[in-house]
Amino acid sequence: MNERNERIHGVACTFRKVSDVFHAAEKVRDAGWKNWDVHTPFPIHGMDQAMGLPRSPVPRLTLLGGVTGFITGCLLTWYMNSYDYPLIVGGKPYWSVIFPFPVLYECTILFAAFGTFFGQFIFNRLPRHNHPLFDLPHFARVSDDTFMIVLEARDPRFHLDESRNFLQSLGGQEITVIRD
Amino acid sequence: MSTSSPHALTAHWKKFLAVGVVALAVVWYFAFAGVAHHENRQALSVLVGSLFWVSVLIGMLMLTMITRVFDAGWAPLIRRNWELLIAGLPVVILLGIVPLAFVESFRHALWDWTDAAHVLPGGHTVGHDPILQAKSWFLNEKFFLIRVALYAVVFGGLAALLRRWSFAQDTDRTAGHTHRLHAVSAVGIPLGAVTLTMLAFDCLMALSYHWFSTMYGVWFFALSIRLALAVTVILTYKLSNGGWLDGLLNQAHRHVLGCLMLAFTVFWAYISFSQYFLIYTANIPEETFWYNIREFDAATGLKNEWWGVSMYLIFGFFLLPFLSLLFYRTKIVAGRLLAVAWIILVGGIVDLWFNALPRQVYDASTPEKFVVTPFLTSSLFLDLLAIVGFGGVVFALFLRGASRQETIPVHDPRILESINYHE
Repeated sequence: MNERNERIHGVACTFRKVSDVFHAAEKVRDAGWKNWDVHTPFPIHGMDQAMGLPRSPVPRLTLLGGVTGFITGCLLTWYMNSYDYPLIVGGKPYWSVIFPFPVLYECTILFAAFGTFFGQFIFNRLPRHNHPLFDLPHFARVSDDTFMIVLEARDPRFHLDESRNFLQSLGGQEITVIRD
Repeated sequence: MSTSSPHALTAHWKKFLAVGVVALAVVWYFAFAGVAHHENRQALSVLVGSLFWVSVLIGMLMLTMITRVFDAGWAPLIRRNWELLIAGLPVVILLGIVPLAFVESFRHALWDWTDAAHVLPGGHTVGHDPILQAKSWFLNEKFFLIRVALYAVVFGGLAALLRRWSFAQDTDRTAGHTHRLHAVSAVGIPLGAVTLTMLAFDCLMALSYHWFSTMYGVWFFALSIRLALAVTVILTYKLSNGGWLDGLLNQAHRHVLGCLMLAFTVFWAYISFSQYFLIYTANIPEETFWYNIREFDAATGLKNEWWGVSMYLIFGFFLLPFLSLLFYRTKIVAGRLLAVAWIILVGGIVDLWFNALPRQVYDASTPEKFVVTPFLTSSLFLDLLAIVGFGGVVFALFLRGASRQETIPVHDPRILESINYHE
């Protein structure tokens, strides 16, 4: 074995039924695992709670983007219409919150969308061109008729043999070690 | 029957009816007495009180049809309560708007354009007003009364159809009713949209008939949906604590109602601001006066009471609910959502006041020849009493309906999906 193959990504284990993978996920959650994932061909209602997943942090970046956008819009309209080239249009003030409001909220929406879009990339760690799981021959089946739980090696609880036994105790069928 | 039954509530319908009838009798008494003394403020209380519930119920009617058309999976559990409530829509129109329009003294007191002898701010009378003459193809009494009658017929008819087939499904278990209601809703949404727009034009915009805004109907729609959702949140909160939604209403239902409240808060602000913004930008006197009288005194230029009301609408009716509802927890924690619903309910009343109450009254002693009616008067309590009165009747009908029909649409094809609704 060369050194490259010594690096282990984690242990994967397949399930055939929704209820099996659901209850197995609850047990992994209760055992205190943090770096692990469940792969299913379709969304399973309640899986978020079964996995103990927190809410996505993306909305925070959306809010941050929105506030930034509003302030940017204010500065933009103030700088252009009131500071750099003061101009009276239609008898309105050089700058007030009313006449540039469409600009302000469009900037708010635009920057909030940027916050959401790029925030999603950041928190999903995208772009990513390959993943060790893709090397598993039966990984394609989790988009068809198989469910899979993967315990990752970077979790402090991970220990190759114990984790394999743990998955066995959960009723997992095919247990595979994934190498980086 | 034990008192802990989820349907024990329905036994209270007579109490609601008694409160409603007594309150309405008092309000109508003051309205008659006021009109006899050439005062219209008390009649405006009847208008504001009935329009508040017309608005709530039109919102529920539209939400019923919208959730039907889109086959909303979350909706059936909550929609049944809308179906029970919209029985009150034609009743509120008949007890409020119809008598105001059809009794000449009230009509003349409220809608200046119907009274040819009414003196306008400039000193000339309505009968000699070229602006009214140009609009007379629409603003004439005969057509006005036909339209008011049509509002009762169209909304009453739509409500009756939506209720009838939905209730029929409880007993005959036929999925065909769902398709039928789908078709009724597809026709009913544009029909309801046109009707509610005309109703807003006639009952509110025409109170100062020189002014016009093509966005007014959309504003009224946005307000209606916001008020309908606020009442829905308050009602379902009550019904999930000892009523027929106990143990059925879950976090996801609150979340979807909260999301809709957020969406329509933004939509209301968008429409209200756009109306203001276009008038502000164009700066045409025949449009700007409507906002001017709501901001400052024409003679002194100082801010009047209505400016404070406008600021309340911006900060209390938009910014506060908007910022609160942005947060996920506000939408799922029952107590927080309830608090926001009450804020929206109060704001909706203030918005109706803002639209219905300020009027220019001829006064030769001022340089501008008019004064603006004040906001803070004791009649605000009469407005609230009118809201209680019409509300009593609406909820008496609701509870009576709930005692006769299933309170859960047990054979709706999507009822299980609705009960098990998941975020």
